Amino acid sequence: MRLDHTLSIAKREYLLRVKGKAFWLSTLGLPILVLAATILPSLLLSMSGATERMVIVDRTGKVAPELKRAATDPEAKSGGPKNPEKKTEIEFLFEAPKPNPAQQEKELDRRVLASEISAWILIDDAALSSGTFSYRARSTSGFVTQSVVERRLARAVQRLRLAEVGVDPARTEELMKGIDLDTVRVSEEGGRREIGLAGAALAYIVFMMLFVAIQVWGQQVMTGILDEKSSRIVEVLVSVVRPFELMLGKLLGIGSVGLTQFAIWILTAAALTAPGVGMAVALLPKDVSLPEIGMGVVLHLIIFFVLGFFVFSSFYAALGAAFNNMQEAQQMAAPLILLLTVPVFLAPKVINDPDSTLSVVLSMVPIFSPLLMTLRLAIRMPPLWQVLLAEILTAGFVFVMVWSCARIYRVGILMYGKKPTFGELARWLRRA
Amino acid sequence: MTDLLELLDVRKSYDGHVAVAGVSFSVPAGSIFGLLGPNGAGKTTTIRMILDILAPDSGTVRMFGRSRGEGDLARVGYLPEERGLYRKMTVLDQLLFLAEIRGIRRRPALSLIEPWLERAALAPWAKRRIEELSKGMQQKVQLIGTVLHQPDLLILDEPFSGLDPLNQELFRQLLTEYRDSGRTVVLSTHGMELAERMCDRICLISKGRAVLEGEIAAVKARFGGNAYLMTAEGDLDRLREIPGVDQVAVNGRTARLLLAPETPGADLLARAVGFLRISDFRSEEPSLEQIFLEAVRDEA
Repeated sequence: MRLDHTLSIAKREYLLRVKGKAFWLSTLGLPILVLAATILPSLLLSMSGATERMVIVDRTGKVAPELKRAATDPEAKSGGPKNPEKKTEIEFLFEAPKPNPAQQEKELDRRVLASEISAWILIDDAALSSGTFSYRARSTSGFVTQSVVERRLARAVQRLRLAEVGVDPARTEELMKGIDLDTVRVSEEGGRREIGLAGAALAYIVFMMLFVAIQVWGQQVMTGILDEKSSRIVEVLVSVVRPFELMLGKLLGIGSVGLTQFAIWILTAAALTAPGVGMAVALLPKDVSLPEIGMGVVLHLIIFFVLGFFVFSSFYAALGAAFNNMQEAQQMAAPLILLLTVPVFLAPKVINDPDSTLSVVLSMVPIFSPLLMTLRLAIRMPPLWQVLLAEILTAGFVFVMVWSCARIYRVGILMYGKKPTFGELARWLRRA
Repeated sequence: MTDLLELLDVRKSYDGHVAVAGVSFSVPAGSIFGLLGPNGAGKTTTIRMILDILAPDSGTVRMFGRSRGEGDLARVGYLPEERGLYRKMTVLDQLLFLAEIRGIRRRPALSLIEPWLERAALAPWAKRRIEELSKGMQQKVQLIGTVLHQPDLLILDEPFSGLDPLNQELFRQLLTEYRDSGRTVVLSTHGMELAERMCDRICLISKGRAVLEGEIAAVKARFGGNAYLMTAEGDLDRLREIPGVDQVAVNGRTARLLLAPETPGADLLARAVGFLRISDFRSEEPSLEQIFLEAVRDEA
């Protein structure tokens, strides 16, 4: 085993890709795509400018004043600061009930059909007592709009009901105040208030990044190996470099390309969002803290990211080593992607109880560790020995994978043209 | 002269098919050694075993006067039959990489590469990608990559295949110079004529077996005296019918003949005058091709 060989191989793989156009296209293109995907819909929504106009016909004459009052109250109008649908602007038009209800209703239906208004709502005594209001619109699938309307109408009706049983209107607001869950994490160091499930979210983000990295760069490991085989340079290489050195060099080189890309993304994102995040943190109440992440945890997260990349790329490397062309290898890549997602299904169990025996055991299994141990780390620091053991086991697994790939590769490269059977692969593993 | 490379009864079979059935030969230092034989004779397998790309089933490979050990292969340059370079890399980067995996740093590598590129008329192409080069140029790049680290032993598998005559001549010159600088070249080829022009020693392989080995001159001497060149009018093909005639190669009015060792040339002439008007009949050195065909026939 010569490290300089491995490093030479890694350096070539790295420089070739980082210098290439594809790397910069994907590095710059993905953030633009993500940005576009997040901004575009809301941009479109605001451009359609759709203030939805709805006609309220209040035959009781009691609800309309409440609705009007609420319209001037900014909190009620937007549905509160947490309202995710605040983009939807709804304007209520109040129309006095006409002497001929049937004709008025027909006329309103016509206006809905002509798109002059988006909907109209009838408030009468029956509706008020049953709590069911007729909402007539051309499309009834706009659930966001409907939920806003429902909430505003509900508040108005609730005020009205409270007033009717003789509650002082000054106290109504207080009585109708909503509630929030205040999540406190209990740990040995005592209770600490933090934003719920942020830890699990962090772990998922790390894993999703890993998933993307594997999809993009793990595949590159496979294509790189197949390319070398099809261009036949491999025979020159293996006369100088051992297949193990070659395989390891490829993983390291291409893995570094992936890490470089992520470093660029994270640093850019950090630079762009730092002011906003700083402000948000400053605005949090004093006794609420973000999940605290120590440097140790960050270090382990990075280690598991890298190990995770190697684990799954080594599977891709095996495919590249065993098969002769993209088509054959791609066929086998599909089950591999399935395998990759297995830990995702196990994740909820670990999130619920990160220190149960099941969680501990699962997080030690090399192909699960990268996600499950990351989850446990993000939720609360597991005993150090467990983290280290998982790291050692995963690293050992990578080593065995690379070693096996090297053996398969060594025999496979010289037997081109024929798709190997599993029996043959096993035989290739036994002999060198 | 010491033997730089030695094969002792090396054997290899794949899944029941015998590729090399016991090959032995030795290559003296400072010579060009030709591994000859038709396609499928086992030349490439033999070469791969020399390079430890394949492990022999039995037999030993000795290199530099001892059992081949760790680090010995760094002193070897190998040009496989199936040529391959990284298509997306530039000529220069490619050569630098090949030098690097052999432990040559960038600066010394650059000073080694430059004269080679000049010599092979590739200097203007240094910054171009391999895929933009013609096949002949790619072969030259690969040869440069093989000799760059000045290996003591150069192993070339069918180095001349696919080369135009001009580049063939360039390759031949380079290899001869390489030998003259005291290093050793082993090449495999099925082109007997080229081998005859440049090899000092040869080993003929047929069906995985070494059928003939030695210095070219000695090999020829063993068959010498029984090869003839005849110029005549008439049906030269009828010469084949004469007993004792092993090979006849007719070309217009001339025929190259190889007789069985015990057959005197005079006997042939006596019979041939019966149906040919012979204007010339002389003894000549047998060509490697004749020798090869003869050796393979004997083997069968």
